[in-house]
Amino acid sequence: MKKNNSILLSTPYILWMVAFTLIPLGVVGYYALTDPDTGVFTWSNIRELGTYLPVFGQSIMYSLVSALICLILGYPVAYYIAHRGAVMQKILYMLVMLPMCMSFLLRTLAWVGLLQDTGIINNLLAAVGLPRLQLIRTPAAVVLGMVYNYLPYMILPLYSTIVKIDHRLIEAAEDLGCTPAETFRKVTLPLSMPGILSGLTMVFVPAVSTFYISQKLGGADTVLIGDVIERLYKQGNNANLGAALSLLLMILVFVCTGIMNRLGGDEEAVVV
Amino acid sequence: MKKANKIITIAIFIFLYIPMLVLIVGSFNEGKSLARFDGFTFEQYAELFRDPDLLALLGNSLIISILASLIATVFGTFSCVGINSLKPRMRNTVMSLTNIPMTNPDIVTGISLSLLFVFVGTKMLGQRNSLTFWTLLIAHITFDLPYVILNVMPKLQQMDRSLVDAAMDLGCTPIESFFKVTIHEIMPGIVAGAIMAFTMSLDDFVISYFVTGMDFVTLPVEIYSYTKKPIPPKIYAMFTLLFLLILVLMITMNLLQLKSEKKKARG
Amino acid sequence: MSKELIRLRDLTMEFDGERILDGINLYINDHEFLTLLGPSGCGKTTTLRIIGGFLTPTSGTVTFDGKRINDVPPYERQINTVFQRYALFPHLDVYDNIAFGLRVNKVPKDEIDRRVHEMLEVVSLKGYEHRRINNLSGGQQQRVAIARALVNRPKVLLLDEPLGALDLRLRKDMQNELKRIQQAMGITFIYVTHDQEEALSMSDTIVVMDKGRIQQIGKPEDIYNEPKNAFVADFIGESNILDGVMLSDYKVKFFGRVFDCVDKGFAPNEPVDVVIRPEDIDIVPPQQGHLVGTVTSVTFKGLNYDIIVEFKGFKWLIQTTDYHGEGSTIGIRLNPEDIHIMKKSEYSGMFGDYSSYSAEYDELTEDAGDEEE
Repeated sequence: MKKNNSILLSTPYILWMVAFTLIPLGVVGYYALTDPDTGVFTWSNIRELGTYLPVFGQSIMYSLVSALICLILGYPVAYYIAHRGAVMQKILYMLVMLPMCMSFLLRTLAWVGLLQDTGIINNLLAAVGLPRLQLIRTPAAVVLGMVYNYLPYMILPLYSTIVKIDHRLIEAAEDLGCTPAETFRKVTLPLSMPGILSGLTMVFVPAVSTFYISQKLGGADTVLIGDVIERLYKQGNNANLGAALSLLLMILVFVCTGIMNRLGGDEEAVVV
Repeated sequence: MKKANKIITIAIFIFLYIPMLVLIVGSFNEGKSLARFDGFTFEQYAELFRDPDLLALLGNSLIISILASLIATVFGTFSCVGINSLKPRMRNTVMSLTNIPMTNPDIVTGISLSLLFVFVGTKMLGQRNSLTFWTLLIAHITFDLPYVILNVMPKLQQMDRSLVDAAMDLGCTPIESFFKVTIHEIMPGIVAGAIMAFTMSLDDFVISYFVTGMDFVTLPVEIYSYTKKPIPPKIYAMFTLLFLLILVLMITMNLLQLKSEKKKARG
Repeated sequence: MSKELIRLRDLTMEFDGERILDGINLYINDHEFLTLLGPSGCGKTTTLRIIGGFLTPTSGTVTFDGKRINDVPPYERQINTVFQRYALFPHLDVYDNIAFGLRVNKVPKDEIDRRVHEMLEVVSLKGYEHRRINNLSGGQQQRVAIARALVNRPKVLLLDEPLGALDLRLRKDMQNELKRIQQAMGITFIYVTHDQEEALSMSDTIVVMDKGRIQQIGKPEDIYNEPKNAFVADFIGESNILDGVMLSDYKVKFFGRVFDCVDKGFAPNEPVDVVIRPEDIDIVPPQQGHLVGTVTSVTFKGLNYDIIVEFKGFKWLIQTTDYHGEGSTIGIRLNPEDIHIMKKSEYSGMFGDYSSYSAEYDELTEDAGDEEE
């Protein structure tokens, strides 16, 4: 009796989430399967997806590379933070969080200022008499932008897993004769797997769908799927094709997170 | 090994903060370019406060993020109580529903909401302009809600259930026991959720960009439109002020947390 | 002596198709100290929560003062509870915790003040009014929990393993304290525990439960001396339980020998369970014994020795103050009043064999460890 009453509190929420997350996805499906002008059912948007497969491939490549670089850069940082004193951990954690709270558009623009042909780096190079470099409008610049923007999303989950690893396990491994390198490979690394997987997902998902980074830091040959969708939807006025591409992007992301969760699920059992 | 970690960590922090430093230096620059420092000035700050349009945009961003995070916090907190008393299977379903906006790329969320609003507004209600302040608000509440739920839910589950029993045992109705006991226990989660929702809303660009109409524009959306024209340096001044604000906010939050932890540790 | 206050009639409780309570019938008198005793999962806490109003039984009725209260929510019952881990409100200090119920019920301020101070005195916590809950020891928290419940002057106080989280010394003190408070306040206590010693020393009435059913109701002495079945005999104290045959009234045969006993009312030649308490057995020189056996292990217990003696392949536990070395041969004598006869039950053959004494002993300590968490 009293229990039923509190269950009712969840009903508005469920209705809200169905109305504003599930139904919109249905509407995306509806647009993907209709003709932009006549509004009748058509497969043509779906058929056209084939032409965009190279762009999809390029987006996946860029974001995978970025996610891996984030992991390589982020792991030592997370490990270092997790092994500080309590107060230092808090301060460093906050310093990782802080950039996430600041305008990501402006921070990306700052990179433009750093990398452009007459930007800060090139000016410095020129000042010491070195030749100017082509930094902006390169694939490397796009990857740099992704790594820069999403690195905190890698460090934070890694930190939370590493900090939870029972120090006695490390001592036990050393006691059983592992060298520090072996201890890391056989104990610390497997136990940080859930953090690694969730970090990879948290970098990969926003990276694969970004359009601002590639627009500002990339060139004509670094067009990503996000750019295409944005242009079709906002400028090209082909919302239906944009919807079809969004649908494909969503499926891609759900498959990726699904795989990560499956892998993570096994690993979590080890931690518990 | 340890030394290498330390060096990498310092390098990464420099990497994370250099672009922001560039913007902050830019806010004191006499010239317009980020790349060349032409002399120190406070002029950009004066410019910022003389620009009613820019301040109005900042106001819009604040209105949306304060309203959305406030509504999402209240709505989400009560919803958590409901979700928590659902049967496990139903609860898992609702939590997966909650995770959709978290895992879905922002661009998909933005387009899907935008299409929904256009579809309902234009095709079903016959409005000419279906993207308004209200649709933007709905969109923000929708992506704020999971942050509240994911912060409050664990606190609610960690809470000793017998505290609610005790309150009822002492004469509280279920509603009274929520306000007299439960809410105090889950307060840290509510505050964390509210702050997260607020910062997410304030900084959101992608979803707002797709859902926003002509008549109500937020600051990030306006900044995006500077792609074509050069950025006025007063924006850097605004960035610097926001940076300080968030820095102060975070430090206070951490100090408060540290204080309450110390209090607990003494017990 | 005193009038009936609470009655449980044919109470059953099911969670997800699993039967937790199976036909509980019980009445509780005013001013009584009643204990629900049993192993974990026996249904004792569920019974208590039904009385408190936190659970609604699947079927059966709960009456309070003659009125059916199945659907009365906890906040409208004249019953208060001391919860297992106290459930004190961490955001309030000692005073505000105790005053909580009075404030909810809109008692005038000066009366609240008077009653809270009165209660602080009863539980010996004067001067602790403005301490934070987290800064109190376990024993002090326990006292606050009792005060918080009693200040509302309930007719019945429910206590759910209230001493479970305290160390042994404190437990003993609190047992006396609780008994004193119950007598001073003159109200009914319904007490849930898995600790038989606690139950025996505090209760007026003990209800032994297992598998959702009541196994026996009675005064502590009766439960100990006249257990109804092998479960009760084993759960309350140590028992040697043997197969026997009741030849006629006052005559029982086991181990191929006929003994005199004080029980009657069985069918001729009815198979029965025979209970012999380890402390009731007299050790005599082998030639004078009813039975002769060999000591197989000796454990010093402080007050006495626990010795395991093998009789024809069956091992008994005997408690004795005299030392008998391992391998020595001893005789035992059984007086008629040392032998207790029980009807066969579903529990027959499950308890009372000390062949694997050490293993059983380990199990017991493991259980104790679990309770600490």
